[in-house]
Amino acid sequence: MKINFPKAIAVLALSLSMVGCQRPWVASPALVNTDVPVDQSITPDPELEAQIAPYRKEVTVKMSEVVGTAPVALSKGDYESALGNFVVDLQLEQSAPLYNKPINLSLATNGGLRVPLPQGEITTGHVFELMPFENELVVLTLKGETVQQLFTYAADRKNALIGNATYTVQNGKATNIKISGKSFDPSQTYTLVTSNYLAGGGDDLKMLQDAIKYENVGLLLREAILQQIRQLNAAGKPVTAETGNRVTILP
Amino acid sequence: MRRRDFLKTTAVGAAGISLLGVPFSAEAAQSINLTILHTNDQHSRIDPIPDDGRKYGGMGGMARRASLIEQIRKEEPNVLLLDCGDIWQGTPYFNFFGGELEYKLMSQMKYDAATLGNHDFDNGLKGLEKMLPHAQFPFLSANYDFSKTILKNQFAPYKIFEKQGIKVGVFGLGIELAGLVSQNNYAQTVYLDPVATAREMVQELRENQKCNLVVCLSHLGYKYDDGKIDDVTLARQVDGIDLLLGGHTHTFLDQPEVVRHASGHETLVNQVGWSGIFLGRLDFSFSKKTLQKTDVRTAVVPVNRPVTTS
Repeated sequence: MKINFPKAIAVLALSLSMVGCQRPWVASPALVNTDVPVDQSITPDPELEAQIAPYRKEVTVKMSEVVGTAPVALSKGDYESALGNFVVDLQLEQSAPLYNKPINLSLATNGGLRVPLPQGEITTGHVFELMPFENELVVLTLKGETVQQLFTYAADRKNALIGNATYTVQNGKATNIKISGKSFDPSQTYTLVTSNYLAGGGDDLKMLQDAIKYENVGLLLREAILQQIRQLNAAGKPVTAETGNRVTILP
Repeated sequence: MRRRDFLKTTAVGAAGISLLGVPFSAEAAQSINLTILHTNDQHSRIDPIPDDGRKYGGMGGMARRASLIEQIRKEEPNVLLLDCGDIWQGTPYFNFFGGELEYKLMSQMKYDAATLGNHDFDNGLKGLEKMLPHAQFPFLSANYDFSKTILKNQFAPYKIFEKQGIKVGVFGLGIELAGLVSQNNYAQTVYLDPVATAREMVQELRENQKCNLVVCLSHLGYKYDDGKIDDVTLARQVDGIDLLLGGHTHTFLDQPEVVRHASGHETLVNQVGWSGIFLGRLDFSFSKKTLQKTDVRTAVVPVNRPVTTS
């Protein structure tokens, strides 16, 4: 049997402390902890390192792949923004061929868009930073009253981007709401594409849980963003978005 | 801490949870030791967390964990290495390779068993099916019924490991998938009540299979306020589990929670955060004569690897 020195010494020390030693034996709080840190003091296993190496290289290469170019950075902002408009528009565009039915509206929030897209070359890594979550695109069918609540939220919070619609904010309220250029009709139902996170009531969008229908598009939001940028690039187009035409703020 | 208080603390429970990292030598000769190592919510963290100022930056890493496990295997005769799910999702390694590398590395570390977390369904049942050949360890799942899916007969509810005559029964429990995972991804997988399932497992493993230790690998989550079933509640409601290892809530615990039953039996509930920042370790002792559990002590953390936080 091999001798475990640290243990043997500990047993000896403990025995001594119990035999007439006046100094109480003190249990270190670390002794009750079950967590063994995996930190810099441990040398990585060379076999596993060798196995990881080619994958790591591929990840690095893929993350630095240039997928498109932006002449100016796309940033976030109140009510509408280049980044917000770009995302809500591509949600509609990329969902359309998968959903195959009309989608009336598109929604994203500033909280869900983690970082701006930088000016210049856009890499896969940038898109992962913008959308690190595995959020899926879903299409909700909403009653007119829910749509009204959504615009009320957008006018009040300023953080919601609504695609394929225009509205005016007056005294913190949404008025003159138009969807596909037509006046909003509260007696109608509308379809809306958004992330499963927001559809589940995330960002206080509790009204979305009143949806009368919930359908998966079958596409991750990050994948939709990547596809859009790649398609633009393939067509020789830059990554841009118009702003200033969707929400009118009245004093 | 005064010595009297210390002794009082060690007297907890019939089995006695010793805070000492060392057994008495005479007792040691009469006992069989079993070291249980565990992880949960690895979330595809192959490389250490980037050391960019974020919490736990520079910690974790699967190659390092492999070294640590290898070292412990050299020191201890009986080791079980277990995982509580959400192996996948969280770094581009998963997005690009679908979980292949995670399973390969865990196989190389000789994981003995794992259970399924909700994120292990992220590429659907097909994505899971495709990767299973890379896992040289079983996934244990007692409360998901896969019989109407393409993964029918792929997962056993439990597995019994024998170490020097000690029979360790390990079973797996998963979280309710509806609302958490897109139905496209879990398809016709049926979620069964974890409490009823766990009682059946205890009956089977303790009474029928005569296991000396019953371990549950859970992905239910540590503790909730809203009445949703969690590890602590399950440990209270089901008598007969010795060790309930958990995941999902990414909970760091200073020490395992002890749940005592009216019968005097104790269940330890533990979880080690996420991302492989820590490796959980518990050491059980069994009497050589009776094969009964006599002691459990928690990890002795070497001074060169101090616990930074938990």
